Amino acid sequence: MRIVVCVKEVLDPDAVNNYALAGRLEIGEDGKSLTQTTIPRLMNGFDEQALEAALRLRDAGAEGRIGAVSVGPDAATILKHAAALGVDEIASVLMGEPSPDYHVVASLLAAYIRSSGDADLILCGRQASDDDQGVVPALICEALGMPLVTNARAIELAPAADEPTLRITRVTPDGDEVVEVPCPAVVTVSNELGEPRYPTAARKLAARRMKPEIITPEALALSPEALQPRVVAQRQFVPTVSGDCEFLPGETPAELADALIARLRQESVIS
Amino acid sequence: METKTVAVCMWSLGQGGLPVGTEEALTLGRKVASATGARLHLLVLGSLPDDCVETAGRFGVDDVDQIEDAALEAFSPDAYVEALAGYCQQESPALMIFSQAADTRVVAPRLAGRVGAGVVMNAVDVALGEGGGLQATASAYGGDTQMVYELSGAASYVVALSANALLPEPAEGGATQPGCRSIQVDLTGTNERIRVIEQARTEGPRLEDADIIVSGGRGLGGPENYKLIEQLAEALGGLAGASRPIVDEGWVDSSQQVGLTGKITRPALYLAAGISGASQHMAGCSAAKTIVAINKDPDAAIFRYASYGLVGDCLEILPELIRAARQ
Ligand SMILES: Cc1cc2nc3c(=O)[nH]c(=O)nc-3n(C[C@H](O)[C@H](O)[C@H](O)COP(=O)(O)OP(=O)(O)OC[C@H]3O[C@@H](n4cnc5c(N)ncnc54)[C@H](O)[C@@H]3O)c2cc1C
Ligand SMILES: Nc1ncnc2c1ncn2[C@@H]1O[C@H](COP(=O)(O)O)[C@@H](O)[C@H]1O
Repeated sequence: MRIVVCVKEVLDPDAVNNYALAGRLEIGEDGKSLTQTTIPRLMNGFDEQALEAALRLRDAGAEGRIGAVSVGPDAATILKHAAALGVDEIASVLMGEPSPDYHVVASLLAAYIRSSGDADLILCGRQASDDDQGVVPALICEALGMPLVTNARAIELAPAADEPTLRITRVTPDGDEVVEVPCPAVVTVSNELGEPRYPTAARKLAARRMKPEIITPEALALSPEALQPRVVAQRQFVPTVSGDCEFLPGETPAELADALIARLRQESVIS
Repeated sequence: METKTVAVCMWSLGQGGLPVGTEEALTLGRKVASATGARLHLLVLGSLPDDCVETAGRFGVDDVDQIEDAALEAFSPDAYVEALAGYCQQESPALMIFSQAADTRVVAPRLAGRVGAGVVMNAVDVALGEGGGLQATASAYGGDTQMVYELSGAASYVVALSANALLPEPAEGGATQPGCRSIQVDLTGTNERIRVIEQARTEGPRLEDADIIVSGGRGLGGPENYKLIEQLAEALGGLAGASRPIVDEGWVDSSQQVGLTGKITRPALYLAAGISGASQHMAGCSAAKTIVAINKDPDAAIFRYASYGLVGDCLEILPELIRAARQ
């Protein structure tokens, strides 16, 4: 079975959060990009967990190759990280400016997967922590005619199935759901999957020499329609937060507690 | 893009009333339809909820469209996407609006992929831009920023409206008397590819519906202290929630996670203890009427969202709150 994991490089969301809170998040001259070079770039957290899911499948006995692919201007760093974790193939679809929209990214990923020998399982993160959209996996599944299972916390090969079938535990608002889906399928992974592993020092060293296969959009021979952006970012801004907190007085925990409960009762927030 | 029809899409799976968020989606739909001179449709998959046509009228809907089919009685992504795609083919809506929820997070982007529409999730607004085209504003980085997207390049668009993004407002000109149309889509060829082996079970009341929520975060220090959150929630007649790290650590079940990738809540009172106030957490509770924060760090971000703040050690304050609430 061939597994392809789609990984995206994002700005560290915690750093973005800290800058935003401090009121120091800078938007570039184009009015839409976050330009602070002090914000680290890293692999989207859910994509690390998607990689982890692929590696766990292999640990559990699934045979075959695991690939990682990324669309972006320069994904070498995160792809080498994937290689250090034990991925067999790494591919970088180069797409610089103008930065592609979700539709174009999904078209490129689907075309890469098709042209590189298809996949039995395509793993994605549940959403990218920069745009939070969570649409690329759905667009890939439609482009390739595959089913989509979202928010997996565990993925295994279903026992005793005639055809390769996945058994997936999904996180839903009503608790966990267990489903089965035949391969090939697109599956998104959620943080409930648990901590991803770290590469060993030796593997990290070996991966440093590994170069991603570089793929240009032209090489994928996509139709102009597939490369036509549909949702184009115009502007990014930091919304204001109200912030008029009243700090309740009290010398001791008991005084603080009494002050709060009294106030909430007075305002009829609680009875 | 020519906007002739705006369609708000929903399903209630036989639950009786309109699903949460429908009135908000209709409010946005009415706004866009008015601005562009389009007709507003409400598309219902499956059975019509009781108060559906009357509510649709209040929000200025011109037509209530319904697709009824045995394949739509239970939620099935394949059948739902197929039904919606069939509707798009027949009615060519320029804009399809969904209220964002777990089901629509799957169906809306798949529909876009199926019919070649552009798609924006987490939308907080759709409006006419300067150039006369539509623009969608959506939150990014958990809400730290917002992105304005231009919707051009596709013939149609799918937008999912974030829960709590706006307040429902009935149509200005008074209620309409929407006509009801039955739309036929052939679903005989669709077989759901996903087989449910074990259904998710809702146990007890849901955080989304709770009036009072007490949530704890990493500041609780250890799993043994989460009982303070549960006890205070019980004393106040509310439910207990959590931030993501303590779910990831396994202190509490993931169904209790509040936030961007957890529950989106809208209680009258949200009390957060030992939670820093990261945007991704606040995305799930900032619509609360009253937010109370307990944090030992007076500069914690959560105080920017809170109406009332208690600065101190939550492990000392929570027992006192439980006592005071029980008195
Ligand atoms: C894509 C993405 C999605 C995410 N989705 C979610 C989500 O849905 N929900 C969610 O919650 N998070 C989510 N997060 C994580 C989020 O960014 C924060 O990391 C998380 O909310 C922090 O949790 P916390 O406040 O409990 O922990 P911390 O940030 O560690 O904060 C602990 C707080 O407790 C205070 N404290 C410590 N000790 C005490 C004490 N004794 N008494 C009082 N106060 C004390 C500290 O001052 C601090 O403010 C997401 C992140 C990403 C990138
Ligand atoms: N540029 C990209 N390259 C590779 N994978 C991507 C890219 N953008 C999105 N994805 C995948 O799609 C998931 C959801 O992304 P998004 O729809 O942008 O929120 C991510 O977690 C990735 O697995």
